[in-house]
Amino acid sequence: MYVKAIPEKCCGCLFCETVCSLWHWNVINKYKSGIRVHKKSVIEDIPSVCSHGNLCNFECIEACKFDAMKKKNGTVYVDYKNCTGCRACEKACPLNAVWIHEKKAYKCDLCGGDPQCVKFCSQNALVMEV
Amino acid sequence: MFCYGGNILKVDLTTGEGIKKPLDEKVALRYLGGDGFGAYFMNKIVNPKVDAFSPDNALIIAPGLFVGSGVPTGGKTAFFSKSALNGGWNESVMGGQIGLALKQAGYDVLIIEGKSDKLSYLLIDDNNVLIKSAEHLQGNTTRETAEKIKKDEGDFIVASIGIAGENLVRFASIDCEERQAGRGGMGAVMGSKNLKAIAVRGNNDIKIAKPDKMYRLIEKYYEIMINHPSFNDDGKYGTGEFLEWMNNERGTFPTRNWREGVFDGRKEIDPYYWAPRYAIKNKGCLQCTKPCGKAFVMKEFKGAIDGIEYETLFSLGSNCGIEKVEYVAKANEICDLYGIDTISAGGVVGFAMDLYENGVIGKDDLGLEIKFGDGEALLEILKKIAYRDGIGDILANGVRIASQKIGKGAEKYAVHVRGMEPPAYDVRGIKGMALAFMSSPRGACHLRSGAYALELTGKFWKYEGVDRLSSENKGKEIADMENFMAVYDALGVCKFSRGIFLLNFDEMLEASIGKKMGEDELLFIGERICNLKHIFNIKAGWKKEDCKLPDKIHIPIPEGVSKGSYVSREEEEKMLLDYFNARGWDKNGIPTRKKLEELGIKEFIE
Repeated sequence: MYVKAIPEKCCGCLFCETVCSLWHWNVINKYKSGIRVHKKSVIEDIPSVCSHGNLCNFECIEACKFDAMKKKNGTVYVDYKNCTGCRACEKACPLNAVWIHEKKAYKCDLCGGDPQCVKFCSQNALVMEV
Repeated sequence: MFCYGGNILKVDLTTGEGIKKPLDEKVALRYLGGDGFGAYFMNKIVNPKVDAFSPDNALIIAPGLFVGSGVPTGGKTAFFSKSALNGGWNESVMGGQIGLALKQAGYDVLIIEGKSDKLSYLLIDDNNVLIKSAEHLQGNTTRETAEKIKKDEGDFIVASIGIAGENLVRFASIDCEERQAGRGGMGAVMGSKNLKAIAVRGNNDIKIAKPDKMYRLIEKYYEIMINHPSFNDDGKYGTGEFLEWMNNERGTFPTRNWREGVFDGRKEIDPYYWAPRYAIKNKGCLQCTKPCGKAFVMKEFKGAIDGIEYETLFSLGSNCGIEKVEYVAKANEICDLYGIDTISAGGVVGFAMDLYENGVIGKDDLGLEIKFGDGEALLEILKKIAYRDGIGDILANGVRIASQKIGKGAEKYAVHVRGMEPPAYDVRGIKGMALAFMSSPRGACHLRSGAYALELTGKFWKYEGVDRLSSENKGKEIADMENFMAVYDALGVCKFSRGIFLLNFDEMLEASIGKKMGEDELLFIGERICNLKHIFNIKAGWKKEDCKLPDKIHIPIPEGVSKGSYVSREEEEKMLLDYFNARGWDKNGIPTRKKLEELGIKEFIE
């Protein structure tokens, strides 16, 4: 299960970033969101979000030397007590779906099965792939 | 303070100094944010007498209170300065991301004063504030500028000007992520400061007073919005969705420099024609859950463009008699890249076309023929304006100054109120909006009151049975709507959500800042903001006589549903006095001491 992004539909409103950081951290901070939208041109709004191994080979888990990147029931998540913010996961991820903010890694954790970004995407640019 | 950045940043481009001060909580609660902060700090900081292009003028940027709160469609940021078109109050509100970046950097207000000695850009990275050379960006488009700065600096949000701002075109715009602070020449003020761009990155959390409550409110309003009829209409066709209705059902779609109120050649500029052909997806402002923007792809372009909005379909379409949407799209793109306000641009080109067709100016003056409907001429004139080349150097001053320079009776073709070219509402058949054009603090404007919807449909909020063809009882209506809209601009909420939220923000304010405010309290703040803007204008030399409507508004609409309707000079005077009365101002439009005491702002006139 993962969140699939359809850039052709993304309108660049960043509402996904907003609700993600609010739901997880009770604050608004785009760098603490598990999804980021990067604008490449007028028509290219590109959401970056983890595929949880579906479109990659768990490069982040492989790269982490501190046992901070873990997998449970098909979901890759950050174990914050171990994370040092060394950026190894960020560099290893082929999808640009992990980033470091204030020495901690941030990425999608699928919100316990009900991804908020999918729930609040008015353009259906984010969908669940099972 | 919850939902605020908590600080004010003041940058002096002359000395290179930046000063960070905490935001006074009392000021925050009295003015909310965005428009309120603009009204307060413009009055506190800017000498209203200075020229718009003086280093002593300031450019102020303030995100709305709800920017970075999660409130759906609450992502608007306001820009303030002295107007390059009339020297009075100017504000322009946009949906770009710079406000969120500023708040995350810890700033609710950015004040830029002085003038850099060479073309520069301002870089704000949380507490690090730098003024860097932009000489390598000279002449670059808004988009090239943003792209190059991002390439050099990283993940910054960039607001930039194009060649028009550099050349002090009096209706130059500021662009941020394809969203524009367009009106009143904010881009020219930036150009006068030798400031090519502002790049901001903020890393801090925006704290929310009651996150769980905010989440539930987001859930509630998200559902309402995606099930609202406007979600589909605007989603498919954008803001131009009601163009045909304005034409056929109301006959108030200004055409060929306000000669007519119906555009016979409208078929292909109607989004029902072009959206299925050219629009490939929606584009949203920050924090929007019902986007109305359109990404537009045409094979004639290398890439894609953003647009085209309703106002632009009028200004660069019907007002210039352009029937081919391809030309409107190209003109829109030129405006966005060179950094020109599309509304004023179309007003100016339509004016020039009118002068040409009436023999006031000829091919020798212009360097080319410019008849209504000539798309190539439209594109050519826009470029001349941006570069201030030939006739473009005169037109770059807006229709008021241009008509004075041209003389030979050109004034009667110049459609403006207080120097600003009006938007797409033929107010001869929407009389409340005629008053709104006169009363707006920045010149002819549809957004300070937003009363067009109320006038055209006859009902909104607490008003019903409003007659658009009557000039009776418009004073209180427009004053009420201006107060209402000032709240929206202070909170940073999109005006296209006004039918959904009305002024029911108490729950969202409690969730975001931790304090409820009901409709009455918000309207009181809105009134305070409107009065402060007016005080600034009075200090800048505003006179009642300046508010008069252009000559063309006194000529009846020749055809269509509103045929025969116009605003007489008596009606003009009556509506204005009615408005002053509703505002508690005297017959010359000067606020009474009693009113200012009531609003708690008499300190601003002492």
